[in-house]
Amino acid sequence: MKNFLRSEGYARARLVSGALFVLLGIVVIVRTLAATGAAVAAIPACALGGAMVALGVLRYRDYFTNRAR
Amino acid sequence: MAASAAVAAEEPSLRRAVTPWGSFSWGYSDVGADIFVGLGLVLGAAAGASNIAFLFAGLVYVCIGLAYTELAAAYPVAGGGQYFVFRGLGDIFGFIAGWAVLLDFTIDIVLFAWSCIDYLSKLIPILSFTAHPWVHFIVVLSVIAGLAVLNIIGVRESSAFNELVSGMDIVSETSILFFGFLFAFQPQLLVHTMQTAWPTPFNLMNGVSLAIISFVGLESISQAAQETQRPASVIPRTSISLILTILIFALAYSNLALGMQPWHPLPLDAHGHAQQLWHYLGNEENNGAAVAVLASYVPYFGALAALYVPVLGAILLLISSNSGVFGSSRIAYAMSGTQLLPSAFQRVHKKYRTPAVSISVFCGVAIVELVFAALPSLSPAVHEIYARLFRGEDGITFLGDLYAFGAAASYSFVFIALISLRFNDSASPRRFKMPFNIPMTYKGNRVEFPVVAVIGFLGIMSILVFTMITHEIGRIAGPSWIILGTIGYLLYRRRKRLPVFRSQPHDWRKAQVNILQSAGELEMMDEYLANIRKMDERRAIHPIGPL
Repeated sequence: MKNFLRSEGYARARLVSGALFVLLGIVVIVRTLAATGAAVAAIPACALGGAMVALGVLRYRDYFTNRAR
Repeated sequence: MAASAAVAAEEPSLRRAVTPWGSFSWGYSDVGADIFVGLGLVLGAAAGASNIAFLFAGLVYVCIGLAYTELAAAYPVAGGGQYFVFRGLGDIFGFIAGWAVLLDFTIDIVLFAWSCIDYLSKLIPILSFTAHPWVHFIVVLSVIAGLAVLNIIGVRESSAFNELVSGMDIVSETSILFFGFLFAFQPQLLVHTMQTAWPTPFNLMNGVSLAIISFVGLESISQAAQETQRPASVIPRTSISLILTILIFALAYSNLALGMQPWHPLPLDAHGHAQQLWHYLGNEENNGAAVAVLASYVPYFGALAALYVPVLGAILLLISSNSGVFGSSRIAYAMSGTQLLPSAFQRVHKKYRTPAVSISVFCGVAIVELVFAALPSLSPAVHEIYARLFRGEDGITFLGDLYAFGAAASYSFVFIALISLRFNDSASPRRFKMPFNIPMTYKGNRVEFPVVAVIGFLGIMSILVFTMITHEIGRIAGPSWIILGTIGYLLYRRRKRLPVFRSQPHDWRKAQVNILQSAGELEMMDEYLANIRKMDERRAIHPIGPL
């Protein structure tokens, strides 16, 4: 397990899941805004989408920070 | 006393062997289980505004998470909130915060054992709480007794097991929300549900106060900090990731519950009417295992999820229940060491060298809470009394009430402690700081006032107020726990001829050097010593009171 967590494969898997989170976050935000407009009821779904994008970006940042080391 | 001193002398210090993933999974196995309990309760209370309730509690949780991250990276010791408050606000507040955390840990034991059996009942119907309350009660009781015995013997799940279960659960939950949002989520349905099932202000406050229980367990961040290599750099990285992951799952499940078109038709309600998904998940039959039921209605993936999510959820909940047994005994042990609790709590088992007294006492308290929670379903007469006095709250809601009270009370003190430590311990290097700070000068030192801590404090105080307003039992039992504990503390300190309201003298400088040295953060230790030297030199020129 420890070897896997230190491997390039694990780092790439995190990168892929990060990309998926960014995409899903954008999908959630766009679909919600398209269906409801800028309504108050859209805030929780948009906040969820924003959190997903943030997690994805964080994973990308971690990956490139680790590579730079 | 002599025996405990000898044991302490012989006791090896904790090995710093936890990796970044280990640190993440440690926190995840504790906080990640909360949504398995919280989702159904919040849906039952806040109905169409459940996602708003989770968003409000989630924003407060982000503030709490940032506060714990800053404090755990600056003071990487296992005590968590209790230690931060003890250090920042003194002995009596350290006791009150620790006592509130202990309430939470005892509830944690019962609530998660209870919910663990609820999840298993989705595969083994005889364990169902609604159909067979006595069987449910006896099995939960056996689980708590079993965990107590295992902890006294000294058996713990390995960290590798924690890491494996956490990893599997993250993959599973991510899959559920991907399938749910891509194939069944309908924003129009979400808005329609929010408009047609919007709760009363009372129920919304109730929902918000219950939503905070989905974010409890941040003590594990500091627990992990004590055993992590280079905690000052690792803890902020893993904590931010943990905070976001937990927030995403809580928001995702609540939005899915309100806006997902179920993959197959839902059963009719008791009156033969069609029901919506959120209503089905929040009723008494399903609210204890809402995540498993929701997962089973996700397109494509649901058939598979229906088979394994109850088991995975039950394992995660069992680990969380065990962390309640472990955490309560260790915090009581640590509080006893600093003379906040009687020395009996430091007594260790002769053979197994575990804090057997603490484990037995807090598991005993957990069993009392279980009996109180289960009584209405076991006896119709008691059900009548509960209905008259407590608005007919069911067992799991009663446990949720107390859990929310304990968490809100202890987190409130942590925010105040963070502000106090920023002012009174500005010499300690902070590799991570909460964002948005106002620089100022205090007693001749440059300090930064944390704006987010004030926002978080106001948020958690409002949740505490919501808990007191909306929970009939929580408003009596929670404050009673704190008041009785404080009376016991005052009597104990008086009997031991220790300062009752004031603090004992503590050499925090020496303690901080030891903490940073044992954490392997030697650069931080040098920086701390240099800061202290500068402050002392400055004070020698301009005497301005204590450090």
